[in-house]
Amino acid sequence: MKNRIIKWIDQRFPLTSFVKHELTGYPTPRNLSYWWNFGFLAGFVLMLQVATGIFLAMHYKADVALSFDSIQHIMRDVNYGWLLRFMHSTGASAFFLVIYIHMARTLYYGSYRAPRELMWWSGQGLLLLLMATAFMGYLLPWGQMSFWGATVITNLFRATPFIGEQVVIWLRGDYTVGDATLTRFFALHYLFPFLIIGAVVVHLVALHTVKSSNPSGIDLAAKDNIPFHPYFTIKDLYGLGIFLIVYCSFVFFLPNSLIEPANNIPANPMVTPNHIVPEWYFLPFYAILRSVPNMVGGVVAMGLSVMMFAFMPFLDRSCIPGGAQYRPVFRVQFYLFLLDMLVLGYIGYIPPTSQSILIGQVATLCYFGSFFLIPFISKAEERWLIKRGLPPDVEALIASEAREKSKLPQRRRREDIA
Amino acid sequence: MKKLIVVLILYCSTSPVWATDAKLENIQVDTSVSAVERGVDTLMNGCHSCHSLKYIKYRDLDTFGIDKKKIEAWRGDQPLDAPLASLMSDDAAMQSFGKIPPDLSLITKAREGGASYVYSYLLGYYNTPEGMTSNHIFPETKMPDALGISGATEPAQRDELQGKAHDIVSFLAWASDPHEEERHRLGYYVIGYLVVLTLLLYIVKNQIWSTLK
Amino acid sequence: MAESDTLGDLNRRNFLIKVTSVVGGAGAVAACLPFVASMNPSSDVLAKATTEFDLSGMNPGDMRTVAWQGKPVFILRRTQEQIKEMEASDGGLDPEPDQKRAKQPEWLVVVGVCTHMGCVPNKEGPGWTCHCHGSQYDDSGRVTRGPAPKNLEVPPYRFIAADKIIIGEA
Repeated sequence: MKNRIIKWIDQRFPLTSFVKHELTGYPTPRNLSYWWNFGFLAGFVLMLQVATGIFLAMHYKADVALSFDSIQHIMRDVNYGWLLRFMHSTGASAFFLVIYIHMARTLYYGSYRAPRELMWWSGQGLLLLLMATAFMGYLLPWGQMSFWGATVITNLFRATPFIGEQVVIWLRGDYTVGDATLTRFFALHYLFPFLIIGAVVVHLVALHTVKSSNPSGIDLAAKDNIPFHPYFTIKDLYGLGIFLIVYCSFVFFLPNSLIEPANNIPANPMVTPNHIVPEWYFLPFYAILRSVPNMVGGVVAMGLSVMMFAFMPFLDRSCIPGGAQYRPVFRVQFYLFLLDMLVLGYIGYIPPTSQSILIGQVATLCYFGSFFLIPFISKAEERWLIKRGLPPDVEALIASEAREKSKLPQRRRREDIA
Repeated sequence: MKKLIVVLILYCSTSPVWATDAKLENIQVDTSVSAVERGVDTLMNGCHSCHSLKYIKYRDLDTFGIDKKKIEAWRGDQPLDAPLASLMSDDAAMQSFGKIPPDLSLITKAREGGASYVYSYLLGYYNTPEGMTSNHIFPETKMPDALGISGATEPAQRDELQGKAHDIVSFLAWASDPHEEERHRLGYYVIGYLVVLTLLLYIVKNQIWSTLK
Repeated sequence: MAESDTLGDLNRRNFLIKVTSVVGGAGAVAACLPFVASMNPSSDVLAKATTEFDLSGMNPGDMRTVAWQGKPVFILRRTQEQIKEMEASDGGLDPEPDQKRAKQPEWLVVVGVCTHMGCVPNKEGPGWTCHCHGSQYDDSGRVTRGPAPKNLEVPPYRFIAADKIIIGEA
């Protein structure tokens, strides 16, 4: 009976062929490590946030007089409201953690390189959408940190040339962050995740066109691909299990550690908290913003710091395939960059002192320096590595790549698994 | 290995030790009904005259298990669903103190250091050489020494006040997070289940991958 | 499947997969429960599921309307004549003895929602009249003239003191 229904559908809709081609039979490199689990995890957390968000929205009130109280209503009166709220607040942090690891994997293994540039850029767009969603969502509890964080960040748009003042007022819908701001942030916070879902579809279509990279960075022969199901379905589920253990530890035992104490105080436009600090996932960019003494300069630096990633496919000029696997200098650069991000994060957290500002400025210079130096370092490293001698399969790939480039731009398609 | 480092960093970065310069006395709150009930007792007889707890209703005290007769006595004419309002009006408070005493429903979550902060604060009053009363933890406070710790010199007195403060803070900790116990209980089951499921998934994963040549 | 698989291996693998699926599925279902439960009335709404009412201050013949679960409830303190009249008959279109409708004969507690289309009837002289379609009820809340089909609903209530009732709890 089931087969008859499926056959009826297949005559009208490519259900079976789609599932076989793109899901179950989809060819995946057999040597993918656990670092490749994080894309699936990101998709899972997205669904989690949408589900918890929708059920929270059934009880939340987006009005300055009611919002803080409605959150308390959710926490105290709504059945399992506390669970929904903590899942959503922890989920936001989980989302950024997963995404940052996902990005780190892409940088380390060079998965942003040709032909995967559009994957990297759609990912970049996804990061921006996620940051906007998180920023708007943070205003909704209408706590002290919500209000003042939104005030500081919307103020930054004053840096827009000529029309800065009007842009800020337009953004807020008022001269200060107020009811108009709260209502529109709620509307947009509800909308943006669905834009994210759309962008994820674009991201996945791009992925299925060029197929996954792998830890060696070299395109594997067709025989070294295995069907996604059951190998990677079970691997993703196992990875999900580990993730859920960490996630639930926070949700059930440490949820308040991710909520700033000041946000448990209702917003007071007359009193600024001693210490305004964004959520941890914004800290490095916040540190970069504060490093530049000029307001416009700070905004430009912060914006650029997020956008710099987009240039990676052009900045990395090495012909050595993949990422850090065969490139020891690149590997060192990567680890130093991670260290720099941690330093920036710490600087962004602590109250600014003259010492910390100086460290922050040095770290900012290192941050941009790493990007600007990549073209030169990568080329020099390539020359050194070729002189030193590479593993034979790497040499073969470089040679075939050079041949490909001299031909017409016609990408080879990997044969599918039958 | 790298995942472990990431997790460790996350755990460490969440320690709320950044804030006050004064040393906090770390305490363990006791959210059993008896401790919480002693705390409400003290609170309704003292703190309640200036502080509100707008997110706690008399009904919530009843549901938690506080003695019904005591609740009847506290609420008087007010219905069960009334919040624990302050006895002092906002205007009177502004006149006496220059600011409205903060609502206490979330106080242990709204301060860096949580319950330990509030406890240390309540017991942090001392007499300055000029004869004024000040507080080690929050010098700018307008609140008077409610427990009278600055005048307590005998160890027995201090002990009693420490006990009182502990009970008050236990109640306030419960008030900030009434579902904490339920959350922890559910958490043990959920994590336990997830450990079992993840183990099963691990075994199945190895089984499936072992068939690969 | 590899050739080195024995039938035992295969059976064990299938069993493991089945067990894991069941355990995982159970968890997935359990995870949905808080979401569904959150849509049920929250504790503050459930609290409004009962309403206390102080009966002192009402004279015989007085009627008060009180809100219970968002609906009007009529509380009528009946005079001796009214009680005698109501106990004398079983009512009109939906026969029911008065004793079954009032815990204490002096006090009538009924939900003030017409059983026809849901309008709120008015107290006019004896009983109530619903002006939407003309239904009439007597001083026991029983329907004496249609189009309403049934008597006014008696909610669960009880006396928690001589002069206090709680509506919503039997």
